[in-house]
Amino acid sequence: MMNKTQEIGALNDEQVWLEQAMKGDQIAFGKLVEAYQTPVYNLAYRMLNNSGEAEEAAQEAFVRAYTRLESYNPAHKFSTWLLSITSNYCIDQLRKRRAVLLSIDEPLPPHPALHSDGEKNPESQVVMSEQQQMVQSLLSELEPEYREAVVLRYWYELSYDEIAEIMDTTVSAIKSRLFRARRQLAEIGLERGLVPAMEKEIA
Amino acid sequence: MDHNDIFALMMDMLDGEASESEARTLEAHLRACPECEQEWRALVAIDTLFRQTPALSPAADFVEKTLARLPNRRARIWAMGAIYSAILLGGLIPLAMLGYLGYKLLPVLSQPALIGSVLKSLGTTYHAASVIMGALASGAGEALVQQPVYVGLMMVVAGIIFLWGGVYRRLVMTEV
Repeated sequence: MMNKTQEIGALNDEQVWLEQAMKGDQIAFGKLVEAYQTPVYNLAYRMLNNSGEAEEAAQEAFVRAYTRLESYNPAHKFSTWLLSITSNYCIDQLRKRRAVLLSIDEPLPPHPALHSDGEKNPESQVVMSEQQQMVQSLLSELEPEYREAVVLRYWYELSYDEIAEIMDTTVSAIKSRLFRARRQLAEIGLERGLVPAMEKEIA
Repeated sequence: MDHNDIFALMMDMLDGEASESEARTLEAHLRACPECEQEWRALVAIDTLFRQTPALSPAADFVEKTLARLPNRRARIWAMGAIYSAILLGGLIPLAMLGYLGYKLLPVLSQPALIGSVLKSLGTTYHAASVIMGALASGAGEALVQQPVYVGLMMVVAGIIFLWGGVYRRLVMTEV
């Protein structure tokens, strides 16, 4: 984490890059992509559970941000705006996925390899640690809105207000989703006997 | 304390928002209730697991690939150039036509008063065209706004630009 001086410095840089990007400076926009590629990709991956789709989603989010820069309101944090674009795209993708699955006449058995990376992913050069796999496996059990609340809570320094803004809902709705999601995850953890394993990982 | 309150306490504890006395209340309950104790352990395990799992980063060429997908600026500059050329042409063509008309009509309209008024309207149109071109060149819009005729002309031109600009915008915003 950055200290206060570094944080302020970074924010000033960001302001300059934003101003330049709005004038069409793609190099400046590239600096913004570089600064936010991990938060955006992380959200996309945790939502979509597939590295190829996550990369596509993350790129698309940045492109949309670039084309809509005039509509960005500086009263809000740029990161929050960017994450909400990413989140909307991912939720849309998940809805489309569900629509495709529902439109198939024969009921398909839920096959993790169909969309998720699972444990083996020959395309991806990054081999996921067991810990990451465990987290993804847990997250994929949640409904998209619950999943998103959990992801935004744990990987981003966001207040409940900011999460509510990104998800376009109220703080009490977020707290309620988080509440249910956590309990659901705890239950799954216990069912799968993961809790002792988790406690070992943490130790 | 009913279990709903206990769960709410657990959430506050996880979020670091529980007071000392609330923490003690929870502890006391957990000692007495093995089900809640188990649920609490699972909640803490999940919470800790998630907090300790690092964020995932994309591949090394992500920035490069993303920039390659941004709308093409060069095409937009060309489009803008084309639009401005169209405006200039739009100003020149009627001027040329009027000039030609004037030339054709000159021998017929030999009366000084008529010639005078024709020349005057020619001069006005030429003036209008030159003001518009000058305004475009220098970017000064005040000269135009002062004369209603120019405003009308500019509105028609602006309408054309917006329509054309809309088409071009959509064209250049799509991936090449």
